[in-house]
Amino acid sequence: MAMKSMTGQAFFVLTALADGPRHGYGIVREVVDLSQGRVKLKIGSLYGVLDRLSADGLIEPDREEAHDGRLRRYYRLTADGRRALAEEADLRAATAHVVRARLGLTGPEAAGAAG
Amino acid sequence: MSGDLDLEQRYRRVLRRLPRYYRDKWEEDMVATFLDGWLTGDPDEDSVTMEYDRPTREEILSVIGLAARLHLGGTGAPRRYFAWGQAVRNAVLGVMLAHAVWGLSQLALFARSRHVIGWLPPPPGGFWPMFGYATGYAWIVVFVALVLADYRTARVGAVLVLGADVAIVLHQQVAGTLVSPAATWAYTAVIDVAPVVAMAAFHRDAPPVRRWPWLLALPAWYLLVAVPVLWAELSGHAAWVPDVAGRCCLLLAVVCLFHAARVWTGRADTGVWSLTLMLLAAVTGLYRVISLPIFAQDPHLIMVGLVELLILALATALVAPDAVRSQTAAPAPLGYQELR
Repeated sequence: MAMKSMTGQAFFVLTALADGPRHGYGIVREVVDLSQGRVKLKIGSLYGVLDRLSADGLIEPDREEAHDGRLRRYYRLTADGRRALAEEADLRAATAHVVRARLGLTGPEAAGAAG
Repeated sequence: MSGDLDLEQRYRRVLRRLPRYYRDKWEEDMVATFLDGWLTGDPDEDSVTMEYDRPTREEILSVIGLAARLHLGGTGAPRRYFAWGQAVRNAVLGVMLAHAVWGLSQLALFARSRHVIGWLPPPPGGFWPMFGYATGYAWIVVFVALVLADYRTARVGAVLVLGADVAIVLHQQVAGTLVSPAATWAYTAVIDVAPVVAMAAFHRDAPPVRRWPWLLALPAWYLLVAVPVLWAELSGHAAWVPDVAGRCCLLLAVVCLFHAARVWTGRADTGVWSLTLMLLAAVTGLYRVISLPIFAQDPHLIMVGLVELLILALATALVAPDAVRSQTAAPAPLGYQELR
């Protein structure tokens, strides 16, 4: 079956989990940092993404920790999630490379011309 | 009263819009994440926050968006939500198909105006009639884009056509050519606005539409219904032709009868199409009722309209028991085929 293309939000959430498990609010903050403030996930959007990634087997619960009387649930990448994230990163990097080439922004000659 | 609630309780009230199965799985986590974004750890400050603050409009909208997607479920959703999602998607396609058939009819009139089809009567000229033809063609684009799963094009096109339709009705009202402005605005809301809003059911998890049956339905409906109607009108038998709402009622009643026969012979086993027909019957019935005031001066036509409504109601009753079966709480099967 053909894999659906990954949304920008899903890409950021998976990236936020790439270096270790995080709880919901930890993901929200990490996504803000990763996107340099451009993506601020609302809770409804975050859990729509988490539910879909969980159903697709790309993330899974890691552990629960008590904090101020409430349980924080941590999530981590699965092996499939790590693979999907790497493939998406390659795809985006390749696309970015093409865009930069078409804009004349790659290579030392472009840097020289700019200088 | 909401004034007695604290921030957590207010947010839980917002979350009640989500389906029960989803809340069972995610609610506590969502509440914890939500409160993490508000509370600082300072008891005094947090106490004030809990007492006086409310979920922001953006937070509420994100939950409403999630709720809409879950209630109109896609692949993997529990059967009940999946069935509603499929039924709404099919109903939207049905209404868009009707609009596209109308667009094809406009295309024929436009062709006549360019002297391509000689036997059709000349259409009225001028900007607004031409604008009307253009919106008709645009419905064809919206329908085809929806069937081909180009949802962005379909949505943008639908919103543009909707704006054009509203402009046309507004112009007719200003020009004083509307027989019943209230009725016209009401059925514009029912057959134009509501289906465009319901296009939200075509979300990321929606299974792909079976293209060929829908694409073939467009020329089939045009040739089997629109052309004979046009012929009847041109050959002096217009009095025997029901108006658009009446034709929709009768056509849908016929489809209900055919589908009921499929249900009784065990060839329609998911109940989704029965639910689709009930939804379409609700829209069509409403369209029939609110367009009746146009015939306020003619009691005979009012009676005809009521008979059309009765026929539709009786035909719909035949598929209603099957529609209930679509609500059984089993997960949507993998490889689900919507036209079984």
